[in-house]
Amino acid sequence: MIGLVVAAVKRAIFAISLLAVFVLFVGPVAILVVTSIRPASGVYYIWRGTNFTFSNFIDVVHQSQVMQAMWNSFVLSTLATIFSLGITVGSGYMLSRFGGWIQRSWFATIYIFRTVPYISWVLPLYLVNTRLGIYDTMLGLLLPHIAVHVCFFSWLMKGFFDGINPSMEYAALIDGCTRWGAFRRVALPAALPGIAALSILCWLATWNEFLFALILSGQRTPLITSTMAQFVTETGTEWNLMSATAVLAMLPALLVTIFGQKHVIRGLRM
Amino acid sequence: MRNSFRNWSLVNPLKTWVGLQQYKAVFTDPVFLQVVLPNTFILMIVSVTVSLAFGLALASLLNRPFFGRPILRTVILLPLTVAPVITATMMRWSFNDQFGVITTFLSYLGAPDIAWLSDRWPSFSLIILTDIWIWTPWFTIILLAGLQSLPKEPFEAALIDAATPWRTFWQVTVPMLRPVIVVCVLIRSIDAFRTFDQVWILTGGGPARSTEVFSVYAYVEAFVNLDFGRGAAAAGAGAIIMLFVGIGLYKLVNRTIEVSR
Amino acid sequence: MAEVVLRDVVKKYGTVPVVHEVNLDIADGEFMVLVGPSGCGKSTTLRMIAGLETITSGTISIGEKVVNELPPKDRDIAMVFQNYALYQHMTVFDNLAFGLRNRKVPDAEIKAEVARATRMLGLDPLLSRKPFQLSGGQQQRVALGRCIVRRPQLFLFDEPLSNLDAKLRAQMRIELKALRERVPTTSVYVTHDQVEAMTLGDRVVVMKDGWIQQVGTPLEIYNRPATRFVAGFIGAPAMNFIDVELADEQGQLRARAKDFDIGVAPQQADCLRKHGAKGVTMGVRPEHIHLGAAPDGKGSSFSGQVKVTEQLGSELVVGLDAAESTIMASRIAPETDIALHAPAEMWIEQRALHFFDRKNEAAIR
Repeated sequence: MIGLVVAAVKRAIFAISLLAVFVLFVGPVAILVVTSIRPASGVYYIWRGTNFTFSNFIDVVHQSQVMQAMWNSFVLSTLATIFSLGITVGSGYMLSRFGGWIQRSWFATIYIFRTVPYISWVLPLYLVNTRLGIYDTMLGLLLPHIAVHVCFFSWLMKGFFDGINPSMEYAALIDGCTRWGAFRRVALPAALPGIAALSILCWLATWNEFLFALILSGQRTPLITSTMAQFVTETGTEWNLMSATAVLAMLPALLVTIFGQKHVIRGLRM
Repeated sequence: MRNSFRNWSLVNPLKTWVGLQQYKAVFTDPVFLQVVLPNTFILMIVSVTVSLAFGLALASLLNRPFFGRPILRTVILLPLTVAPVITATMMRWSFNDQFGVITTFLSYLGAPDIAWLSDRWPSFSLIILTDIWIWTPWFTIILLAGLQSLPKEPFEAALIDAATPWRTFWQVTVPMLRPVIVVCVLIRSIDAFRTFDQVWILTGGGPARSTEVFSVYAYVEAFVNLDFGRGAAAAGAGAIIMLFVGIGLYKLVNRTIEVSR
Repeated sequence: MAEVVLRDVVKKYGTVPVVHEVNLDIADGEFMVLVGPSGCGKSTTLRMIAGLETITSGTISIGEKVVNELPPKDRDIAMVFQNYALYQHMTVFDNLAFGLRNRKVPDAEIKAEVARATRMLGLDPLLSRKPFQLSGGQQQRVALGRCIVRRPQLFLFDEPLSNLDAKLRAQMRIELKALRERVPTTSVYVTHDQVEAMTLGDRVVVMKDGWIQQVGTPLEIYNRPATRFVAGFIGAPAMNFIDVELADEQGQLRARAKDFDIGVAPQQADCLRKHGAKGVTMGVRPEHIHLGAAPDGKGSSFSGQVKVTEQLGSELVVGLDAAESTIMASRIAPETDIALHAPAEMWIEQRALHFFDRKNEAAIR
C-alpha cells in the first residue's frame, strides 16, 4: 500500500518537473509571440484584454528594411553554409586521415582561432573590409563567416571522420581508386549524417549571428539580427512591432530546427 | 583561410603603429580591471556551472522514455534555435519595470520590487539568467548523447549491489561521463568569455558601464568612444588572456574531477 | 545457499516470444550451466533470474521464495558479467566493498570480507589499483571477488570467460573449479562454449530458440543426446550425421546410404523397428570411427576418398568422402601415413550409433 503511494508521489513529482521545464523553456518565447499579436494599445499588460491582431506583422513586413534584412540573412546563411561545409569537409578529412606537421599546425591554428573571442576578429575585419571596399557587402560578410565556421566545424568534422573506419578507404584504394576518389565515394557518403547535422548547425549559427552583423553590415546589406537590435536600443521602443520582427526572425530558424533536429541528433550520435 | 591570414597580419600592424602604449592603457583602465574583467569571469563561472548542473539534471530526466518525451526534446531545443539577440530582447521585455510579464507576476506573488534593468547587480543577474537559459539545452543535448552511449552493465551491477539512484548517479554515471563533461565545460567556458549579444541588448553595458563584459568593452572603446587603437588593444589583450585561461581551465577541470572521486 | 526453481517461465518482447515455458529445478549447491548458440534465450533466462528482465509469465523462486516481483538487490544474488562491469573509477577495494557499503554493513566486517575474497583470488597486490589498469584476467577475478564478498545464496554468471583469449580461458576454468570447492554456492552459468559447459557444470541445460532441448549431466548429454541439435552441439569434433535408409536383411537391420552399408546392433534395431520410419538420420561421433578394416563382428566398414586431414600433433583427424558427405574420424595416430585423395577404409563401432527422427529430430531410443 505504501509502495503504491510512494510510486504515485514519485510520478507526480516527475510530471511536475516536466511541466516546469516545459514552461521555463517555452515561456519567454510564448511571451514574445503573444506580444507580437497584440496591437499597440494592448501591448502594455499583454495578458489583459483580448485584442489580438496581426497588424504588427503587416506593418513590419511593409518596412522594406526588415524584409530586405530577412532576405539578406537567408542568402548569407545559405551561401555561408555551402562554402563553409565545402571547405570544412575537406579540412576535417585531412585532419583525420593525415598526420604530419602540416596537419598539426593547421589543427593548432584552428584551435587558437577558436579560443580567441570574436571581438578580436571583428575590429581588424572592419578595417580590412573598409580598406578593401567590401564593407557592408555580402562578400564582406560572407568571408568572415566562412573563416569562422571553418575553424569551428573542422574540429567536429575531424571527429566524424575519426569515427569512420579507414579500412573501407584502403579497400577502395586497393580496388584502384585515387585518394580523392576514395574520399568522394567511400568516406563522404559515410559521413553524410554528420555533414547534414553540421550544415544545419552552420545555417542556424549564421542566421543568428549578431556581432559580425552589427559591425560589418550597414544600410546596404542589413541583416535581420542587427536590424532587430536597432529597434531595441532606441528609447521608447515599440515593443509590439519589435516582437513581430523578432517572431519573423525566429520563424525560419524554428522551421529549420524542427525539420532538422532528427538529423542533427542522429549525426551527432556518431 | 584567406581571411585568417589577413587578420593575423592586421593585428600586428595595429600593434606596431599604436605601440604597447595602448595595451598599457587598457590594463590600467580601472573600468577594465575592476568591472569588466570581474564581470566577465563571474558570468563565465556562474553560467557554466549552473548550466552544467541543470543540463545534467535534464539529460538524466530525458534519458528514460516517458509520455511526451519527443515534445520535450523539441522544446528543449528552442533556446538554441532562437538567436541570443532575440532571447535577450524577450528577457528585457519580460522583465520590463512597468509592463514586463514576469515583473508583474512576481509582484503578484508579493516579491519586493527590484529594478531589474536599472541597477548593476539585478541587471547583471538577468544577463547571467539569460545566458543560463540559452546554454542549458546545449549541455543537455550533449550530455544526453553521452548518457545514451554509456554501457549498461555497470548500472546493472549497481542494481544488484543495492546502490541507491543517488549513489549510482554520483559514483557510476558521472565518473563515466567525465570526458564529455570536461570537453563541454572547456568549450562553453571559452565561449562564455566572448559573450556579447545578450549583454549588449539587455543593458548595453549599463547602467553606467557597470555590466560591461570583455567583448562589450572592446566594442564600446572602438565604435562608441571611437578609440580604435584602444579597442583593438583590448581585443588583443582578451585573445591573450583567453589562451592562458583556456590552457589553465583544461588542466583544472581534468584534475578536479579526478580528485573528487 | 538455496534451490532455484523455474516454473513455466516465458519471456516475450511484445508478442515475440524469446523464452518458451522453461521448467528447471536447480538443487541447493548445484552448478547449473545453460549452454546454446547465440539468441537461444539462455542469457534472457539468466537475467530473469537476476531480476534484470521482467518475467512475462511463470514463476521463479530462489530458496523457496517466489522472486518475480523482487528487485535484484533484494534477491540475495551476485552476478559476473561478460565485460566485467567493474566500476572503472573506483579502486579494486572500493569495487569489492561497494555492495556491502550500500547495505550499511559495518566497516570492520567489510574489511574482513574483502580480505577473505582477496586472499582466495590472489588480489592483494591489486587492491589500490583501478580496473582500467588491470588485465582482462585480473578484472575478471575482481568481478568474482565482488560476488564472493557478499556471501549471497546464488551466483549468476553471464558468459564471463568470453572476453578472454583461449589460453586464459582454460586457466580461468581451472580457477573457477578451485573456487567452487571453497565456495560451493548454488550457481547458474551461461555460456555458448560447450567445453566450458562440459567441464564446469554439475548439470547442463542445452537451449535452442528459447526452448530447452535437454537437461542432464555432462556425460548423459554426451552419450545420450535427446535431439539431433544436442548431439551436434556437444562434443568436438562434431558428430557426423548421415541420412540413411533402413532395410531388414536376413533378420539384421542395415542402415544404407550411397556406397554405405552399416549393420545396426540388435537392441537398437528393435527400437528402430518399433519407431517405424524407414528414413532416419544416423549420428556417430568421430572418435568412434577408426581407420582400417573392421575387426570381425565388431562393426561395419565403409570406404571413400580422403578429403581432408587435420594434424593436431596429439591426434590426426581425417575426413573421408562417403555417403554423399564428409565423414570425420578422429583420434587417429598422428604419425599415420595418409594422403589426400587416396582411397581409404574406415569402420564404425556398432554400439556408438545414434539415430534421430528426420522430422522432429528427436533421438530414437
